[in-house]
Amino acid sequence: MNHLGPIFRALLRNKVGAVLIALQVAVTMTIVVNAIHLISSRSDLIARDSGLDESNQFYITTIGYDQNYDARYVTDTDLDSLRQLPGVVDAVQINALPMSNSGSSTTIKNAAGEDAGDAGAALYYVDDHALNTMGIELLAGENFNATDITWREMNKGTMPQKIMITATLAQSLFPDLEPEQVVDKTLFNGDDEPMTVIGVIKQLHAPWVGWGNIEHAMLVPQKSDSVYAHYLVRTEPGQRATVMPEALAKIEQRDVGRMVLEHDTMTQVRADSYRNDTALQSILWAIIVTLMLITALGIVGLISFTINRRRRQIGTRRALGASRGDIMSYFLTENLLITLTGVVIGGMGSVGLNIVLVNNFDLPRLDYIYLPIAMVCLVVVGLAAVFGPALRAAHISPATATRNI
Amino acid sequence: MLTMHNVSKVFRTDTVETTALQSFSLQVNEGDFVAVTGPSGSGKTTFLNIAGLLESFDDGEYKLDGHSVKNLNDKALSQLRNQKIGFIFQSFNLIPDLNLFDNVDVPLRYRKLNKAERKQRIEHSLEVVGLANRMKHLPSQLSGGQQQRVAIARALAGDPLFLLADEPTGNLDSKMADSVMSLLEDINKAGTTIVMVTHDLAQAERAQRHIQVLDGKVTEQDKQAAVVSPLRA
Repeated sequence: MNHLGPIFRALLRNKVGAVLIALQVAVTMTIVVNAIHLISSRSDLIARDSGLDESNQFYITTIGYDQNYDARYVTDTDLDSLRQLPGVVDAVQINALPMSNSGSSTTIKNAAGEDAGDAGAALYYVDDHALNTMGIELLAGENFNATDITWREMNKGTMPQKIMITATLAQSLFPDLEPEQVVDKTLFNGDDEPMTVIGVIKQLHAPWVGWGNIEHAMLVPQKSDSVYAHYLVRTEPGQRATVMPEALAKIEQRDVGRMVLEHDTMTQVRADSYRNDTALQSILWAIIVTLMLITALGIVGLISFTINRRRRQIGTRRALGASRGDIMSYFLTENLLITLTGVVIGGMGSVGLNIVLVNNFDLPRLDYIYLPIAMVCLVVVGLAAVFGPALRAAHISPATATRNI
Repeated sequence: MLTMHNVSKVFRTDTVETTALQSFSLQVNEGDFVAVTGPSGSGKTTFLNIAGLLESFDDGEYKLDGHSVKNLNDKALSQLRNQKIGFIFQSFNLIPDLNLFDNVDVPLRYRKLNKAERKQRIEHSLEVVGLANRMKHLPSQLSGGQQQRVAIARALAGDPLFLLADEPTGNLDSKMADSVMSLLEDINKAGTTIVMVTHDLAQAERAQRHIQVLDGKVTEQDKQAAVVSPLRA
């Protein structure tokens, strides 16, 4: 750092290459910071707690094809059979799987009439085994009784009188109440279908991972009388891999005029639902690495060119008393100044780009912790890139000073 | 001050071996102004590089200020160059992006002198060469003769044991060359030892001593010895 002043003044007098590299660093920083921010935002989305015990759950979807297919009989006997399997905690028939990106919703109101507050809610038709199967915590109120469960024919039927809702939905409908205080409140599906909240559950995601109200969900005590049936099964911890094929075999063995459409773990359902997000993350990481690499190569190229152009000057410095360390230090310092200029400009560019993204694409505001992290990364990349060329420069013979080349 | 005894230097490639210096012996005493001449390829520059610790040698002994330099590492050689030797190059070797002040400052910074002392030395040495009023100028704003004066100031600023000049007037016209030679003579008269490599016999004659080199050997020492040289014949 002993030569900081002269290096700075020399850079000011010969600035084209330095400015280009500083701009490259700035552009890289701007893109990298916002890319990391997007990756982090996606990670937060992907890591959201669905409320389910996903690591111990799987599902089986069946379809009845026989003209005499008896959905109610098959469903009840399937559920009995699944629940009796060793290693199974519980099982439930459900109309849609959380995070599967396919399901039903409705708009419910906190009172009858046009002025009532309302909110969208994902509908899960389940029986009294739902809480245990899903692994959902009941915050207040009570679970459904077996006697509460009715059959719901496809595209028909009215809402039953009892429902359970998520705490977030409860707060949306009754902002002035604690979720627990919503128990026994009456909600309306339209104006003519009153429903009593008998329980508030802590957390359950809707089927649509891209929905802004993903935590708005409602459990309805009905089983689907339909040719389609989704069975959600929860196993004892660590038993899923063993139990899933046994359960599948059990279902497939029954000659009841239906076939298994698909089956998979809930872990895979989550992975499939967030596939676009993870793909975007991978692309952004690739962009970050590529940009960093291009920046590093740009620095290597400029410094190598500079060193070749300044061989006589380096030899002269060595003749005048510079040690190899002094030459290394010279180029590292010079690069540090260029990179620091770039990251400072890049810091401002990052904030500017984020403002544009926030205003135009409804993205979250930049977490400023990424700025110093990206700055340090780019400075390290810059120093690493210049290290090799600087080492070569340090080995230029001082005798170069006397060569007339 | 500078003693070389039987110094040899051979450059080797895969196929060729070139003897640049063989059994080269020379003694330079304090206050001397020594001119080293010889035809191209005679070993002048190799001598200068070895004398200036810019290049290593194979055999023989080289003592600088009474100390052998043969087994010193790169860092120690750098320090010796910085503290004991002032270099003047044929092409001046000023750093084009630095003004005169910063150019003269280069070796002083490597010596890690404090700012005030560096400033005093730079101003004084630029004053000696008559360029104190142009400290903020860039080398490109000066004539060749002035640039060489800056190089001399840079060499003097470190208060070295001796100046080592490599064809100091080689890139100058006769008027500027004369001016630079006069400056070197003045510096020598003020007590600074100078070793100058040149192919210009007229300039060499102005030195106190004249050494001729041929095929890597000293063929004639000191004009006071009055040995007839083929180069001067």
